[in-house]
Amino acid sequence: MKSAPSHRLRFGIGLALALALGIGLDVLLLAGARAADARVRAERQAIVTLNALTDVVVGAGISGDPVRTAVAAWSKSHPSLAAIRVIAFDGISLEASTDPKDSGDRAAPRRLSREEKDAYDRGQRLRASVETNRQEGAARKEEIEVAAADGGALDLAAPLEKDGEVAGMLEIRTATPPPPAPIPVSTALLYFFAPLAVYAAAALLLGERRAPLAVAASLLLALVLFLFARQTLRILDADRVETDRQVAARVGQETGLAGGLVAPGAAAVDPAKWDTDVFRHPRPGAAATPPGGAERRGRNVFFGVAIGAFALLAFFGLGLAARLGATLSRHRVAYLYIVPAMLAMIVLVFFPFLYGVAISFTQQTIYNTGQPLSHLWVGLQNYGHILGDFAVAKRAPDGSLAFNYLNFYWTLLFTIVWTVSNVTIGVTVGLLLALILNTAGLKLRPIYRVLLILPWAMPNYITALIWKGMFHRQFGVINQVIQIFGGQPISWFDKPFTSFLTALSTNGWLSFPFMMVISLGALQSIPGEIYEAARVEGASRWQQFRAITLPSLKPSLIPAIIISVVWTFNMFNIIFLVTGGEPGGSTEILITQAYKFAFERYRYGYAAAYSVIIFLILLAYGTVQNRVTRATEGL
Amino acid sequence: MRTARTLRIVALLLLCGGPLFAAEIVVWHAYRAEEKAALEKVAAAFNASPAAKGNKVTTLAVPYDAFADKISAAVPRGKGPDIFIYAQDRLGGWIEAGNTVEPIDFFLDKETRARYIPTTLEAMTYRGTTYGLPLNFKVITMIYNKKLVTTPPKTSTELVATAKKLTNKAAGKFGLAYSFADFYYHAALLNGFGGRVFDPGVKPVLNNPQNVQSLEYMLKWFKKDQIMPAEPSTALITSLFNGGKAAIVFSGPWFLGEIAKGVDYALAPLPTIVEAGGKPMRPWITVEGVYVAAPSKNKDAAYEFAKYLTDVAAGKVLALEGRQTPANKTVYSDPKVSGDPVLAAFRKQVEVAVPMPNVPEMTMVWSPATTAMNTITKGAATPKAAMDAAQKEVEQRIAELRKK
Repeated sequence: MKSAPSHRLRFGIGLALALALGIGLDVLLLAGARAADARVRAERQAIVTLNALTDVVVGAGISGDPVRTAVAAWSKSHPSLAAIRVIAFDGISLEASTDPKDSGDRAAPRRLSREEKDAYDRGQRLRASVETNRQEGAARKEEIEVAAADGGALDLAAPLEKDGEVAGMLEIRTATPPPPAPIPVSTALLYFFAPLAVYAAAALLLGERRAPLAVAASLLLALVLFLFARQTLRILDADRVETDRQVAARVGQETGLAGGLVAPGAAAVDPAKWDTDVFRHPRPGAAATPPGGAERRGRNVFFGVAIGAFALLAFFGLGLAARLGATLSRHRVAYLYIVPAMLAMIVLVFFPFLYGVAISFTQQTIYNTGQPLSHLWVGLQNYGHILGDFAVAKRAPDGSLAFNYLNFYWTLLFTIVWTVSNVTIGVTVGLLLALILNTAGLKLRPIYRVLLILPWAMPNYITALIWKGMFHRQFGVINQVIQIFGGQPISWFDKPFTSFLTALSTNGWLSFPFMMVISLGALQSIPGEIYEAARVEGASRWQQFRAITLPSLKPSLIPAIIISVVWTFNMFNIIFLVTGGEPGGSTEILITQAYKFAFERYRYGYAAAYSVIIFLILLAYGTVQNRVTRATEGL
Repeated sequence: MRTARTLRIVALLLLCGGPLFAAEIVVWHAYRAEEKAALEKVAAAFNASPAAKGNKVTTLAVPYDAFADKISAAVPRGKGPDIFIYAQDRLGGWIEAGNTVEPIDFFLDKETRARYIPTTLEAMTYRGTTYGLPLNFKVITMIYNKKLVTTPPKTSTELVATAKKLTNKAAGKFGLAYSFADFYYHAALLNGFGGRVFDPGVKPVLNNPQNVQSLEYMLKWFKKDQIMPAEPSTALITSLFNGGKAAIVFSGPWFLGEIAKGVDYALAPLPTIVEAGGKPMRPWITVEGVYVAAPSKNKDAAYEFAKYLTDVAAGKVLALEGRQTPANKTVYSDPKVSGDPVLAAFRKQVEVAVPMPNVPEMTMVWSPATTAMNTITKGAATPKAAMDAAQKEVEQRIAELRKK
């Protein structure tokens, strides 16, 4: 006998868990953001030093004694730099180094040893990046490489240019940065326990009334999360202001030092070019940076956390958790049986599917597969490009319509036409053959059945290639037969319509056995007495067909048609192998278009969005069709 | 007694453990039949030679269709081989994807560089850095039926004259049959007229005047001189040549395996183009290179094997038994290699050939170029219009890819 649910307890548990989630996540996010800001601060300052030193070394001529003197002087005035190395490509040599390991017989100048191949490759990578960016006129590749070294120090590398070419590389290693700001544990605990205490008091006052308890808990949660978020954002803002101040101070410091080291005849140093990003583009100054962007992102994050916390509160407070627990424990055994299959499905089906959906929200291409997805996030941009492009057709100069075959809507229309015509042909031919095969007393029926199933049994890859050969203009069977009857050979793959016919006939040939088998099975399950009764009543063959045969076929045919529609909608093999989209991409269906975007144009994010849209279309179709025909009612 | 037993056990362990300390170098390739046998022979010879320094090479044949995708999927995650052998067409894409191919400039000294045919080494270079050692090359050349053609034509005028005499469209006989609608084969004419696909900085220039000129010239052979069959698929060309219905074919070493036993064939260099000022036809070279995988743990040992594989001794085995044409120049000074008519013919052809671009943008060219070739050969568009359309398409694809 269950006791009456205690709302106070439920909302109490819900509030506690929601606070734990909300405050916990917020604290972690704050710590993460502060650590990221600290990294950015260290990186910007290091880049300023790197760029200043680059100017000095380039002014000293990249190789030779002046470089070594300059580097030694710089190292003396920068005790925080753990190591400075200059590598020249010509001769694969280490020109200067303040690394304690490069002393004695390993002192510069010397040729790089085998273990230092990575450094040489890094230099060549930078050279290739500078060239690529220059040739493409865009900032696509990083011209400064920043890597994390032991203990939180940074390894930076920049290219050294002489006479317009990259002739060497400068590497520096910064000192270990100060430890990050501690996580404000005591503040978090205060923010956690205080509202719980207030709620306890409220619960005692309000008793077991659900609505007031809900209001009280929600208000407390909202207030606490709001206050905590505001404080966090203030801390982060202060961090950013401090970063800008420190970077400006560093620029000033390096200007003085670099100015003193550059030889009188060499080019003057340019401090304005030192505070750059990794593409060596100057960062906008502190005044130019609009604070809105980071703040808006921060607010969105806190909103997300708040929604999660409220969901948790609702889940526990409204009794849903209790109900879930009861169900799980009552059907324990059943759930245990499902667990292995669920695990397999999660790994093999759900995870890849969800990953594909995640990629569709990014702009991943072959050039940036190494970057994490969060860097490439573009939200619904891919979907916008696909669904928002209405340029289906243009008027050509001579007045005819020129269709844009890459357009999503054209491809969708074509796919629908393809599917409808194929399924119609398949069902008609299959049903017809099934009716013929079903006549009583047919001799050699098993042989006919086997022969008629053969098209389905052969791998459709081979069938597609054979049919493609049959439609060859000069040597294909179809044109030979046409010529025997006195006609002109047709160039099948030249016009969109004839090309469509080739794929249609191939797929029609492939798809009728499936329908035939389904229909045959369903026909054989109709008892013969009904037909007897109908004949006695005086019904004609056609009336018998409409009144008896078709309705009995419905429960089998409708699911078969749904399956066939989904298969034909995604019939990649036939379109790809028979027409290949010829001529000029006019016979592409959605799935082959997605394939070409992914593996010929290498735009993985766009192609993923395309496939998600295909999935949604088919899902909508399946649901609607199912509901309308109520065909799977019996299942 | 106990000491002796311990010593025996230790000795046994050392014997078994010895090979454990040596590195195992895994090599993936997509060869079958004789090429596979030749490669395995070379690997065994390496394992027995002092150059191996106790390392052991094992080869694994991976089916060709899946090879490139397997490399793209497995190698960056550290699950692939130490060395893989593949053509240069996917090289740019793998380099841009990262963590797949190791640059070997650091290991490569001047004398090793000098032993390769220069264009093959160019094919292994991407943006100034060398990423692999060239193993062998494939290039198309002229293959003719000796019964039908007594002296192979040296210039395009001779070619047209010879082919016209041997063409009888009604009987299905053609003087010249090659995949002229395939952009890869057309590159021989394209490069011969001075055209190219990319300008430096990887800017596509598909519609430049020389390219258009080369296409008009190909149409002349097809429409005016009428020496070639329509819709030339590889299956069609093979059956025509084997049936004695095609006198001259432009194709590569892959075609030789398809020739029927009764056909007496010979090879000759592609003719020079009189209308282009006597310049030779310059087909594209497909170079198979030996690449060291970037996540490999035995890069030095792997490079040693790569160097051995592209050296003279291995080259002789691969040439004479594997029927490959090595990229190492010095292999051809061996009389057995230079005496083989097939190997000598391809070696002569590669002198005027051009390496196929290895940049990732090249993959975006094939589809629009094929469409253009189809429209041109079917007469649906003029060469200039078709190439303009292809150029626009390629520019758009590259812009989409580079958009940040």
